[in-house]
Amino acid sequence: MMQPNKSATTMNRPNKIILFLCNWGPHAAFLSLQDEKRDIPEEVLMVRVPCTGRVDRSLLLKAFAMGADGVALVGCSPGTCRYGSGTLIASRNTQDTSKILDLMGIGQERLRFATFLPEQADDLLDFLHVFLNDIKKMGPTTITTSPTGPAPSDQRALPREDVAALIAKYDIHACQDCGKCSSACPLALVGKPFSARGIASAVINNDLYKSDVEENVWSCLTCGLCYERCPSAVNFPDFIKELRHLYRKNTIQGEEAHGGFLHSLMRSMASRDMTPNRWRNLPEDLQIDQESPVLFYGGCAPYFDIFFGKHLDVHTEKILFDGIRLLNFFDVHPRLLGDERCCGHDLLWSGEQKHFGQVARLNVERLNSLGITTMITTCPECYMTFKTTYPSQGLQLNFEVVHLYDFLEQEIDRGAVQFSALDQVITFQDSCRLCRLESRAELPRQLLNRLQPTRFSEMRESGNAAMCCGNTAWTGCDAFSKAMQVKRLQQARETGADLLITSCPKCQIHLRCAMQDPFRGDELQMEMLDLTSVIVKTIQWK
Amino acid sequence: MSTTENTVAPQQEIIVTGFGGQGIVLAGRIIGMAASLGDNKESTLTQAYGPESRGGACNAQVIISDRPIHYPYVKTPHILVAMSQAGYDKFAELLTKDSILLTDQDLVPTTSAPCPHYEVPATRMAEGLGHKMMANIIMIGFFTAITGAISKKAAQDTVLQSVPKGSEEKNTKAFNKGFDYGVSTLKGKEKRAAGKTGAIAS
Ligand code: SF4
Ligand code: SF4
Ligand code: SF4
Repeated sequence: MMQPNKSATTMNRPNKIILFLCNWGPHAAFLSLQDEKRDIPEEVLMVRVPCTGRVDRSLLLKAFAMGADGVALVGCSPGTCRYGSGTLIASRNTQDTSKILDLMGIGQERLRFATFLPEQADDLLDFLHVFLNDIKKMGPTTITTSPTGPAPSDQRALPREDVAALIAKYDIHACQDCGKCSSACPLALVGKPFSARGIASAVINNDLYKSDVEENVWSCLTCGLCYERCPSAVNFPDFIKELRHLYRKNTIQGEEAHGGFLHSLMRSMASRDMTPNRWRNLPEDLQIDQESPVLFYGGCAPYFDIFFGKHLDVHTEKILFDGIRLLNFFDVHPRLLGDERCCGHDLLWSGEQKHFGQVARLNVERLNSLGITTMITTCPECYMTFKTTYPSQGLQLNFEVVHLYDFLEQEIDRGAVQFSALDQVITFQDSCRLCRLESRAELPRQLLNRLQPTRFSEMRESGNAAMCCGNTAWTGCDAFSKAMQVKRLQQARETGADLLITSCPKCQIHLRCAMQDPFRGDELQMEMLDLTSVIVKTIQWK
Repeated sequence: MSTTENTVAPQQEIIVTGFGGQGIVLAGRIIGMAASLGDNKESTLTQAYGPESRGGACNAQVIISDRPIHYPYVKTPHILVAMSQAGYDKFAELLTKDSILLTDQDLVPTTSAPCPHYEVPATRMAEGLGHKMMANIIMIGFFTAITGAISKKAAQDTVLQSVPKGSEEKNTKAFNKGFDYGVSTLKGKEKRAAGKTGAIAS
């Protein structure tokens, strides 16, 4: 694998270690070090916290994303935690975040968890010196942080010219105030005080800084249902995307779910020197050919699995493995990219045009240098982003971007392939990216119709009218997202299906999240499998 | 991939059979012409006319050879292409273990051949393409891929010369559909033989 040259900026800055220190046990030790004027390394920046268990994974990662070269989480020795479970939680959070750092190619050794009793001042000092030494050997991280611009003197005054440009570009004046968007919008339909039309008028009336409007802009799912119905063809998803960008440019913060963990992760991907470390746990049965002209692009599934695995029991990386299995089934042995980055979809759709641009340019540079003819992906967001978004932003790829379903449909259509019986009633959750934004509602259905289930029943709202899984780009998740998911799962159950087939790893995650509701018991439980995995299970040569 | 191509015998005796209206004789003619004009071999075609060509059993007999052919009737078919049950029933007893049987699986439901047997839903596929009449062209594509008795290029060129003007594109599509199905069938057979039926390693 090509190791890019580290640029001068990251090599020369001084090391920075963030020490999250529990207020109780180890802080006493730290105080003695300070009192005795011991040589606490100046690279160590201490943040005193009430309990290490409260430093969650997003904070840990954020420290790196903001320029730390090492992060130490130092708490109380097991059994001495004042709150009982702090030490345990902290060690779990450290483990998860380490795995992510490892995948990102930053190195899991940069994050350490340790515990000390108040009297262990010397041990604490040793620990800090050893850690600093190790970090010095590793050098600075490859994450480049981009400085945030100065806040405008009056945040309320979004630059009028920018707003006017947006209005012109999306022809917002063409809005007839007919309300069709609201009558289609799933958020409005579950009772959220939310109005697409309201956002449109707010833009025109210069009310964008009002908090309820702001909240609405971050809540929109960019699912495109309103665009389907709008008689004036106001492209709401794209419009919201740019509006968010405008907000961010003017330092209005987005509503990031999960404490911004995933956003920190994705922003870090904009660092040129970062070399992610993917595909090391490939199942043995998969056949890969690093000389192949066909690249399989995985996407972010493995990061999700680490982050959500403990709570939601998600296994989205398996979808990628199954995708490769299907290529192998048809004798395609694809190439994989060890330093695969993220496509940038979520950055773009949460208003981070700048970081998106950086990630995208790095991707184009790397991918275009491979000499491949085809990139195949199963992720609808990667598909749309590479196939449509990059070119629309003037970023040309020198190969074809193909959705795995297209490849499969073409191969299966040649014949001599059949599907074994699937002893379940199935229903299908559309991906908003594939179905509406890319207008490919028919594609997964061609494959679904080839399966041999007991029965295939569509949900009440399906295809172009399908309700989305309740969240896009990890932005603006709230109680109404949850209400939507509950409604969607009820629709799925209503079909009598016992298997919900999905086509996006995130639908699995968000819907699984809603199933956790302890008050609803089994009412929302349902087996979920990605279409790719269902095909792998049942496809066979005649 | 192991097509049967490399094992093509110096003389191939072929019977195409079906019922009138399926374009059986045209199929036979295309196979013969492809062999002689495209692949520079000798070929002969004899066909059964009469009441048969109006819906009853009907057949075309083709011989392809590297040497001049003295007797144009097929005694022991190397390849039997059957597009109707009646047609199959009529010639089935001539098959030996070294023959190859190709059938339209929907039209020839009952077979018990002593030889390798490959099926294609040619008529159904033709309906899918919107032209039931092109089942014979799909069958030619399938025949070409499975038997290798004629080359793909010769077959394609001859199909184009033999079909009505204006229908070239549709017929090429039909040919390719049958050909792809044939390639895929051989691949599936190979995979099954290697014990790799499904996509998950067992
Ligand atoms: S894109 Fe979806 S969530 Fe946003 S306003 Fe339109 S329908 Fe509502
Ligand atoms: S559907 Fe279109 S025209 Fe109607 S209110 Fe919504 S944005 Fe305006
Ligand atoms: S639905 Fe659950 S998993 Fe999805 S963004 Fe909201 S909280 Fe996170």
